[in-house]
Amino acid sequence: MSKVVISNNIRKLRFYNNEMTQQDLAKKTGVTRQTIVAIENCKYSPSLELAFRISDVFKTKLEDVFSCVIIEDKGKKEDTI
Amino acid sequence: MYYQEKKTVASIIAGILVLVFYSIYGINKYLELGENLLNDMKFWATAILIAIVGGIIIAIIVQIVFHIVLAITNEVAKEVAKEMAKEVSKKTGNEGKFEAYEEDEITDFEDEMDKLIALKAMRNAYIVVGTGFVIALITLYLKMPPAIMLNITFAAFSLGSLFEGFSQLYFYRKGVKNV
Repeated sequence: MSKVVISNNIRKLRFYNNEMTQQDLAKKTGVTRQTIVAIENCKYSPSLELAFRISDVFKTKLEDVFSCVIIEDKGKKEDTI
Repeated sequence: MYYQEKKTVASIIAGILVLVFYSIYGINKYLELGENLLNDMKFWATAILIAIVGGIIIAIIVQIVFHIVLAITNEVAKEVAKEMAKEVSKKTGNEGKFEAYEEDEITDFEDEMDKLIALKAMRNAYIVVGTGFVIALITLYLKMPPAIMLNITFAAFSLGSLFEGFSQLYFYRKGVKNV
């Protein structure tokens, strides 16, 4: 089975949005700061609903916030979404 | 370490305290009264009931102390951050401008990650409890005294609870996947 790696640009987007704090983003999306930290560090993949809420805060498309790389078992990169 | 992790550590401490107190009490009584105690089911039932009630009281006390300590450390950290920011502002000439201090919020609110971690940790706890229960049944099958079965069952629940706490800490530290 292939492995899915989800990365994000939240840190960069926070910077371009007036250095928005993690706490502010957490309040606007209705989660804890710990969850925002985990998402930023790619330790947690948010639900589709939360992903849309985050992109809505930054007024960008979902694919500008999150990107996905599918890696085959052999380590060969299969596809980038 | 964030609020949820600290809260989990407090629960683990409460669980360890209960298990240690019960073990010390049980072992001392066993050394005092000898093997006859293994057939005295009323004694063990009473001891376990007291341990359950005591456990709830200890958990409440630990949580109260934990929240008091957390509130104090939050305030101290806030003041220190303000003082440091003021000094930096004076040196750089930007007086009155200091960085916002992000305090560790105290809230019982659980978001989707907390719920997922709680579910995965509970699954691990069920494995421990289930294994303990099977071992307890095997002791009965091997015609060991029923007190051993009762104690293994109690230990399985206690260890399951501790394992749940450690699993939560692990998932908070290492991350959790939606699979």
